[in-house]
Amino acid sequence: MFSQLGDARTGKLADNLSGFGRTLRRAGVRVDAARMALAQQAVMLVGLQREDFSAALEAVLVSREQDRMVFRELFDAYFRNPNVAQKLLAQMLPSAESKAEPVKRRPRVSEALAPVRAARNAPPAREEDKIEFDAAMTASDLQRLRQADFNQLSASEYILVERLARDVPLPLPHYAARRTRPGARGSRPHWPGAMHHAARSGGEVLHIPLLQRRQQPLPLLVLVDVSGSMERYARLLLAFLHAATARRHTGAAVRRDVFAFGTGLTDLTPAFRVADTDAMLETASHAITDFAGGTRMGDSLGQLRLQHARRLVGRRTLVLLISDGLDTGTPEVLERELAWLRRHCGRLLWLNPLLRYEGYAPTARGASALHRQAHGMVAVHNLSHLKDLAASLASVLRQ
Amino acid sequence: MNSLNAAPVPASIDALVQALQSVGYFADRRLATAVFLALKLQRPLLLEGEPGVGKTALAKALSEVLSRSLIRLQCYDGLEQREALYEWNYAAQLLHMRAAEGQGGADMAQVEREVYQDRYLIRRPLLQALQAPAPGAVLLIDEVDRADEPFEAFLLEYLGEYQVSIPEIGTVRATATPVTILTSNRTRDLHDAVKRRCLYHWLDYPERERELAIVRAQVPGASEALAVQVAEFVGRLRSQPFANAFQRAPGIAESVEWAKALVALDTLVVDPEVVSDTAGILFKQREDVAALTRDMAVQLLQPADVDA
Repeated sequence: MFSQLGDARTGKLADNLSGFGRTLRRAGVRVDAARMALAQQAVMLVGLQREDFSAALEAVLVSREQDRMVFRELFDAYFRNPNVAQKLLAQMLPSAESKAEPVKRRPRVSEALAPVRAARNAPPAREEDKIEFDAAMTASDLQRLRQADFNQLSASEYILVERLARDVPLPLPHYAARRTRPGARGSRPHWPGAMHHAARSGGEVLHIPLLQRRQQPLPLLVLVDVSGSMERYARLLLAFLHAATARRHTGAAVRRDVFAFGTGLTDLTPAFRVADTDAMLETASHAITDFAGGTRMGDSLGQLRLQHARRLVGRRTLVLLISDGLDTGTPEVLERELAWLRRHCGRLLWLNPLLRYEGYAPTARGASALHRQAHGMVAVHNLSHLKDLAASLASVLRQ
Repeated sequence: MNSLNAAPVPASIDALVQALQSVGYFADRRLATAVFLALKLQRPLLLEGEPGVGKTALAKALSEVLSRSLIRLQCYDGLEQREALYEWNYAAQLLHMRAAEGQGGADMAQVEREVYQDRYLIRRPLLQALQAPAPGAVLLIDEVDRADEPFEAFLLEYLGEYQVSIPEIGTVRATATPVTILTSNRTRDLHDAVKRRCLYHWLDYPERERELAIVRAQVPGASEALAVQVAEFVGRLRSQPFANAFQRAPGIAESVEWAKALVALDTLVVDPEVVSDTAGILFKQREDVAALTRDMAVQLLQPADVDA
């Protein structure tokens, strides 16, 4: 099986490993030269028996759970010379050929495996910003699947979402947490610190340092509409919110609760806990069963009130309601539930993608109720540029 | 170099699997490979995975296999260097200073030297691990993700060099590199720099065979049929589509507890009634207990019977 790997003494192993390293890097797995050197050492220790070899490389080269599956798929593709393997198989089992189906690969993996040439000829970065999803409005509704189809992100989308999350920091509001740290604006004495100072001044307590409360971002509750008209927006918005509120971008752990609503309510919080945005989208689309039905926002919010009221932490939660406001439920119910939600959260913000149409006014009954109850509305003018969305979301949070 | 009672590092992956098994830890081969490399390359091993998949248990098992003492640092929000590394015994130091002054005419430099002597140093786990005698220790840094970023930055230096500098004393180097296991429940992502120092392994829920072996070993009182049913039921509970119904899937600890409870209740065969009576052992959240309905229990049990 390792015909491509060759013999360590001829240096082919090193070549293959560094080639594999480059492929991993292309798929967005961060691998540096030191790691590659360590990988070679590791391989020498465990030998070339396939399973151990793969496990050893994985232990050294992968450092995030979300890269694991990418690694395994790439490993399989890279260290199994497709031509040789196919020929051998064909000789032994003539029927195997017809059975061989193309393996389902993640978009990130496929793009990384594609010849480098293609990447070099790729259009400049500016072009990448165009995300192809605006064919949505022309799609026929006849053949719509009931399962939500949150495609995984293509590599360019993935990079874009990551970059936006990094470049457009969401200014999530903070509050004073229970935990303390030494600080000048504190109110409680910091005794170990006092002792420390005293010890340095011959046992005299000259100065008492203080403890002050830490700052913590407000908890976040995201409610996203997954009716047919919203699918495109929901997917990218979720991807962006997922990346932008991750700890690596906010600097502190943000409590995130996420629900999708259509005709009912789906808890996406477990999906959001998945660190990889791709996997999050996949898990989310598995969880959502009421995709492309009508929107009964009032009932869904009622369900939230009955079953998940405790997710609204201490009436300071920041609620982001992502919807176009086209509601098929009873307006009175919606109005009542929205009023309840408004009472029980810190801020209720409405993100409305329909605002991209010039001269939009919230005339639909659901939309007008939302308009009355929400503390603010985000103008998501041109969703074909996720950048604008990120910026406007940041601006409404700052208000 | 090894002292008499220290066991040598297993020579191969197979030997390691065997050794771990002999102390009651059932590791799959990929995990064993990662552990083997961590031992050989003397790198820390970062274990991530859902709660209750045996991350902490691995460190305990390793300390038994290697006959080295286990030093554990439990991380929590707000953990600071003084709780992790060392702290001076301020009260004793103050007393010492007072006493020195009482005698009068004490030289300040002399007093300072006396105050910062070894016996006023309170050693916390990370320092203990560095100073552990010859074969070294197994250092478990549990739930790193709970500590904050400044602590991670400190860990970075510690894991890279295995030395710390105490301003008043000087640099303390590891007598023997401790076998270091870091665990994380991934409540947040660790910094890349820390990960670069470590080997990495994601611990999954065990496959059916491994879970069965664990239940058998931990609950000797359970009949073979019961153990099989427990492993089967919990395994299916964690897989789709059932997993989506719950906030948190039960870990190995839960399935072992459940098996113990079933034995205590003199259960011979798991049926929907028993499941709903004992759901509180598998799930620790009210919503999850409620989600495990009778119908679902019936569904979960049915194909298991067909398979068996």
